[in-house]
Order: sequence, then structure tokens, then C-alpha cells
Amino acid sequence: MAETQWYFDASAPGTVPPELLPVLEEKGVPADHILLCAKSDLNREMVRSDCWVLATDEDLIVLSGSVILTRRPDATIFTTKNRLERKFELLTWDVFERKTLSDFRVEEQIASARFTAKTADGDWLLIANLSNTYKSDFFALARFLGQLASDGKITPDEHAGHSRRDDMFCPKCGSRYIDEERKLCPKCMDKSRIIARTGQFVLKYKLQIVLLILMLLLTSALGVLSPYISSGFFYDQVLEKTGRFYGRVLMVLMIIIGTRLLSTVFNLFHSLVTTTIAANVIYDLKKVIFSSIERLSLSFFTNRQTGGLMTQVTRDANTIYWFFCDGVPYYLVNIVQIAVMLVIMLLMNPLLTLLSVLTVPLLFFSMRFLFGRMDKHHIKRWTRSRQMNAILSDILSGMRVVKAFSKEKDETVRFDRSSRALAAAETDASTFGTVAFPTVNLLVYVSNLVVLGVGGWMVIQGKMTYGILLTFTAYMNMILSPLNAFVNMVYEFTDSLNAMSRLCEIMDAKPDVAEAENPVHLEECSGRVEFRNVDFSYEKNRKVIDNVSFSVEPGEALGIVGHTGAGKSTLANLLIRLYDASAGKILIDGVDVKDLAYDDLRNNVAIVSQETYLFMGTILDNIRYAKPEATEEEVIEAAKIAGAHDFIIQLPDAYSTMIGFGHKDLSGGERQRVSIARAILRNPKILILDEATAAMDTETERKIQTALERLSVGRTTISIAHRLSTLRDADKLIVIENGKVPEAGTHQELIAKKGIYYNLYRLQMEAMKNIGIEE
Amino acid sequence: MAEKTNEKTALKEVVAVRYITKDNAKFEKNGDFIRMTASLPDDEGTTEEKTYDRIFLHRAFPFDFPYAYISVLDGDSKEIGIIQEIDALGEENAAMLRAELDRKYYTPVIRQILSVKDKFGYSYWKVRTDEGEIEFTCRDTFSSLLKVGGTRIFVNDIDGNRFEIPDLEALDRRSFKKIELFL
Repeated sequence: MAETQWYFDASAPGTVPPELLPVLEEKGVPADHILLCAKSDLNREMVRSDCWVLATDEDLIVLSGSVILTRRPDATIFTTKNRLERKFELLTWDVFERKTLSDFRVEEQIASARFTAKTADGDWLLIANLSNTYKSDFFALARFLGQLASDGKITPDEHAGHSRRDDMFCPKCGSRYIDEERKLCPKCMDKSRIIARTGQFVLKYKLQIVLLILMLLLTSALGVLSPYISSGFFYDQVLEKTGRFYGRVLMVLMIIIGTRLLSTVFNLFHSLVTTTIAANVIYDLKKVIFSSIERLSLSFFTNRQTGGLMTQVTRDANTIYWFFCDGVPYYLVNIVQIAVMLVIMLLMNPLLTLLSVLTVPLLFFSMRFLFGRMDKHHIKRWTRSRQMNAILSDILSGMRVVKAFSKEKDETVRFDRSSRALAAAETDASTFGTVAFPTVNLLVYVSNLVVLGVGGWMVIQGKMTYGILLTFTAYMNMILSPLNAFVNMVYEFTDSLNAMSRLCEIMDAKPDVAEAENPVHLEECSGRVEFRNVDFSYEKNRKVIDNVSFSVEPGEALGIVGHTGAGKSTLANLLIRLYDASAGKILIDGVDVKDLAYDDLRNNVAIVSQETYLFMGTILDNIRYAKPEATEEEVIEAAKIAGAHDFIIQLPDAYSTMIGFGHKDLSGGERQRVSIARAILRNPKILILDEATAAMDTETERKIQTALERLSVGRTTISIAHRLSTLRDADKLIVIENGKVPEAGTHQELIAKKGIYYNLYRLQMEAMKNIGIEE
Repeated sequence: MAEKTNEKTALKEVVAVRYITKDNAKFEKNGDFIRMTASLPDDEGTTEEKTYDRIFLHRAFPFDFPYAYISVLDGDSKEIGIIQEIDALGEENAAMLRAELDRKYYTPVIRQILSVKDKFGYSYWKVRTDEGEIEFTCRDTFSSLLKVGGTRIFVNDIDGNRFEIPDLEALDRRSFKKIELFL
């Protein structure tokens, strides 16, 4: 019941639902004095009810009660629309003085949240409870209340006219979107448009498709003809003394062989055409999907599981191909064939036709029912096999631990349990299959018998010839055989439609981060970086970076310090535009990175991050990845600076060693050194080192540090590290905490300040002292 | 095993876990929240009486021991100590802390499954709970169901709400049939 839900509209946060109006009037609060109105579903005692938090100029009002649907007083039995009226029955009404409250906060709990604030005397006050459904509404509410307290007014969200309700529910049928990002309602999707769009891929091969359908039609025409020749014609015209071709058995045999041969030729031709288009269409589809995916920004990939994405691409391409090249032609031809046969049967004997068609609906529905049941068995089997595979891969990849604690026996038991559950589900499914389908066959058999009985009686009565009866039964079986396929058609079509809508969605998806239309080119980059009041959030209403400003002069080294999760890496991701800042500006040489040409940005900024990904290939390929035209000398120089040369040269195949999936495995520190070499080879003006040396031992780190120092002449370096010793040579340090920059300055200044940096430094120094190292 | 461990190697000799008991702590209502006054040793080992105006409770083993092994945290999410058994704190305290825990771990209990519709890997649920009828939606039904022990199920919906089926076998047959597919 989507209608009973109400969601906060961030573009018009003061909108009050109509059912509250009578209550507000009764309490003497004019509706246009309401500045904010958010709904929750749990009252202050954590009991499910309809609650609202309203803000006016003076007060914060929390009311709870329940919305009741009653019949409108003026409704008659003829009223069809809006017969029900929503009434709000008020239970509690609490008023807090808004100006005395501060620090509004959504405190997340396990599966619910509390909305709290601080009172004037510093105590915490519980304002409302809510389930997670309304959590993001209340994050917005807290933000707006904060704005009210500081500026005295509310700045509604820019995307006016866009409420959360529109994001969550299908405007046509009111049911909830399965995926807010996709905004796709399975009930209301525009099927014909989607089919037309994806059809283009196949229509490129018009000629082949026409050929294909022609072949199918010819084959099926022969299929309709052959029972007549081999039974009706043979018995009535050749074997009967009265027949026109009496005794010419050989001729009939030749005709039968001829039609067989012809249909074989047609079939062969059909398969040939199919295989050529199949390969081409699938190739085209995969290319389009993959290039569209690559164009998208990183957030698309973090929202979805990447592994699943690729298998989905392959599977979808096959499904779409199947729909256009196998499915649709097959059904079309079958429908034509059935229609033709029905007409012939009707001409031959209307009564028998009716008798044989009578069982078809019965068969159809019983098969549909059985397939539905079968499907349930399949789902069960599939979930259990997924479970078993999960356990299996869990145990196998943890084998070292299993053996270390000698838990082999327990693991065998665990595997055995899920394996047995799968076996049981499989037995169920097979048992069902072996019992159900012979039952359907029996039904077919019975209807055959009825036709045979009635027909036989007619032959004896002389109302029909023996040959016609034989032709008839042959046709009947031909009509029944595609029935199976038609039963499954519905499922197969929904499957294909879903694949097609996914394809359209991927093709339509707009990258959040896109190159400017008329990008600015940097002729000569000096390497000045500035962050100006930058905000960023991965999730709506939850800032990861909050009003951060700093600048780095050309050739300077900046160190970024902070706890894990404070937002250090996010700053780096924003600078290289893996994401875009939601507010504020990031400037390189005074140019907003959003206006900068991609090529210039990526050529001048290189990053070595904590996740080092090396592609399948040789070490040389990997180092050269960013600059394919680099000479061997340059590669060796870069590797030397990165401290990678020494270990690479120890390997039997040196720079030609294959790494990646299924090949040589490098250690964490080695991988980091290779990726530093990759970044250095690019020779960028701005080098970002995001925990680049974290996986190395102290000695190697020192060596690379000295090399990097030499490199950093005339280059802007931004180093992110939690080991402070890594940053001791930085010209300037900024401390980041909870997305803000509370401290900035040189090492000496920050030590003198005795703040966060000082504490971090002291702790790390103490740890060093404890193990006997003094600096 | 326990008998074999001699005193010197027992883990409690190595680390001191601060346990909150009836003797070292007092609890009282502070508006909508709970205030605690406790005398517990700090990291240096000195014991001092301290008052925490608002404490946060967190279950260490939420599925197995809802009212035992409760971590008590201060406003900065730092652990003050652990309550081994809530009921050992006296009837009045136990009732207050239990109520607070129940609120934090708000989880409607599903008594009957009215319908589950599966579409494209998402499922639309309609259930009857102790709190009345609730509708919710799950993304990837299979991984939305968390099986605890043999027959206990937690269902996580698309918004991050949580529902509990305490005993699958206690469900009526028709409800069970609806969920069985996903187990």
C-alpha cells in the first residue's frame, strides 16, 4: 500500500500531508508556519505508529497517532474514486522550544535510529524514533535544522520538484522500484520501446533474418506436406485399387525421399545462416555493453558488484540474441504452421478436429501448472547449490587455517550437511519430474486414443478413408509437440525483456563524472593544487569531506595525516576526478579540474594508491601501462627509482616475467614498487602517494623515500600516510579528521600547537621508544 | 581444557576486562536515557568514581545472549566496561537496561508470512508481526536472509530494517512454504 506512505521532500521540506491539517487547525498552528515536516514510523516509546516531526519558527513539534482510512461522508454507492478519506487520530503532541536545542543528530542503531538533540543545559534529548526506512529523511531534517539554527533560514535542495517519493515509487502503478538507481518498474516498463531499441542490433543483418525466416517457413511447409504424402496420399491413392496412382510405390518413395532431402538442405542452410549471425550479433552486443560500461564513472562500479557485472554482460548478450534470432522466428513459424495444419484438419474432418483440439487447453494449463511447480523445485535446488559452493570455496581458501587448527573433520561435517541438503533438493526435483511429465504424456495418449477410436469407427462406417485418419493423427502429434515451447514462452520472454532493459539502461547511464564540453588545455603545468571549500559525500546527506580548503605550491611536498577512514584517500580520488566534489572547487594551476581536459589531467597527475592492481601480462607491460611508448632505458630508470629493479632482476625472466592471474605472484611490497615505477614513468607534475609504501619493510621504505625525494624536485607531491615517519620531509602537513581539516602547518608548528598531530606524533614516538629505537 | 590451564597462563592474568557489577556501579534514569555512576579501574590501574550522563549499550553476542555480555559505552563509543549478566544487577536495574536494549535492537517478530512475491531477484514481502502488518522489499532474497542456528532467521530489507523469525518450525505450514524456497 504505497499510498499510506509519505516521504520527506527535500525540495519543499515544509510540505504537510493533508491528513494533518485538521489537527494543526485544532491546535492553532497555521500550516503555512510549518518550515519542516518529516514522518517517522515509530513513536517515542518505540511503538509502531504514524509520527511526524514539525518545525516552526519557535517550536519543534512531535506528534504521534495513527492514520485511519474511513469512508467519505459524501460518498454514495456510485462514487468509485476517492471513496475513502484519510483521517489522523492524534495520540500525543509534544512541543519543544526549538531555539534551545542544538546539535541535531540521527543516531543509528541496529535496525532503527533515534533523532536526538542537545538541550540548553547540555543534556541529550530524544526527539523521535524511526525505522531505517526513514533514516535518510531524518539525515536531511537534521541538516535543515542545523541551517535554521545557524542562518535562520532553509536552503532547499537544488533539484527542486524532486522528492524522495519520486525516487522510490513508480508514478504509474505506485509499487516500489526494485532499485532506486534504476527506476524501473517491472509492471510498467515500456516493452515495445525497449524491444525496438535492442532490435536494431539484429536488424543490421536484415538479409540474413529474411533468409532465416524463409528457410524456417519452407521447412515447416515441407513438414506439413510430408505426413500427407506418407500416409493419406500413400494409402488412399497408391495402395487402394481405386486410387489414381495405384501401384506406383516406387514413385511415392522417391517423393518421400525427395522431400526429406529438400528439408535437410533447408535445415542445413538455416543452421549456417544462424551461426554466422549469432557470432556477429553477440560480438556487437558485447562490444557495445563493454564500452558503455567503461565510460561510466567509478561510483557505478562501487554500487554494483563488478564480478557479477561481467557475467551479466555475457549472459545478457546471449539472451538478447536468442530472443531475436531463435525465439521470435521459432514462435512465428510455429504459429503459422499450427494455423495451416488446423485449417487442413478442419477441411478433412471438422468433428475429429474439434475432438483433438478439445484437450489442448487442458494440456496447456496442466503443463503450465507443472512447470510452475518445477520452477519452485529448481529455485530450491539453485539456492542450495549456491550455499554448498559458498561453503566449499570458504573451506578450500581457508585450508591453511583448517589444517593449522586440525579442524578437517568438522569441516567435512559442515560440507556434508549442505551437500546432503542439496542432494535432497535434487531428489525432490527429479522425483517431481519423473512423476509429473509421464502424467502429461498419458493425457496426450488418452486424447490420441479418443481420436483414434472415433476416427476408426468413422472409417468402418465408410465416412472417412484410412489414409485421412492416419494423416490426421500425424498432424495432431505435430500440433502438440510445440505446446511445450509455448508454455515456457512467457518465462523466456520476461527473461529476455529484463536483459534488454538492462542493456538499454547501461547504454543510457550517464557518467556522474564527465569531461567538460569545451575542456581547457594546459600547455605547461606548474603543479599548483588548491582545494577551495570542498564538500563530498558518497551517500546522500552524509558528508565524508566537509568544507576542506588547502593549497600546495609548485614543487612543494604536502603530507596528509589522519586516522583510517578520516577521508584522506577520498581527497586523492577527488583530485584525479574518480569522483566529483559536491560543492566547492578543486583547482590545478587555477583551473577547475572539472573544466580540465581528461588527457591533460591524467598526464599531469599520477597516483600510487594503496590498492595496487597489476594486470595480467609481463612486468614490463605493467610498468609501461601508463606510457606505452617509453623506451627500455626509461623503464629500467623508473624501476630503479621505485626500488623495483633489484628484485625484478633476480627473477628468472626479469622484466619479462608474467604476472597476474595464474602466473607468478608478487608480494605486497613488490607490487607496490612496480606500481610506483608505473607512476614515475609517466613523469607527472603532480604525484600522489596514497599509502604507497605501507606494505614495505622499513629499510626498503627508506630507500624509496630517498629516491622519491630526489624525484620530487620541481614536482608537487602529495603523500598520504598514517606512519608519520613517512611524512617527516613534507613542507606542509594537513591533519584530517571526520572530513574536516582542524590543523595545518609545518611539522614544527603542529608540534608547538600540541593538538591532534602532536598526540599522534607522541604516540608513535613512544611506540618506537618501547622497542628501543630513538630518533 | 579448563583444568589443564594453570593459573599463570590463563588469559585473565594477561588482560584485565572491566566487569560492571552490582557492587561497583549504579544506574538511574536521566530523561530518556540512562546515567551510570561507576568505580572502575582506568588504564593506569587507579580506581575512581565517575558519572556517565548517558551510556550506550551494545550486545557482544546479540543472537545468543541478548541480555548478557553487554558492553557499556560512553558517548565517544569507548567501552567503559562489560556487564556479564543483566539480571545480576538487581530487578530494577535489569528492567531498565532490558528496556533500553529492546529499543536499540528494535526487530519486529514475524508471526505469519502473508505473501512473498519474487520478481527479478527482488522480493516483495507482506508479513504479520507483533507490531501489526508490515510490507517490505528485499534485494537479493537469498543473502537478505541470515540464518542463525538451525531454525532462526533474520530478514534484512532494502532500507536496512530487520525482522526476526524466531523459529521456522513454529511458523504455520503456509507461511513456511512461502519462505522455504529461499532457504
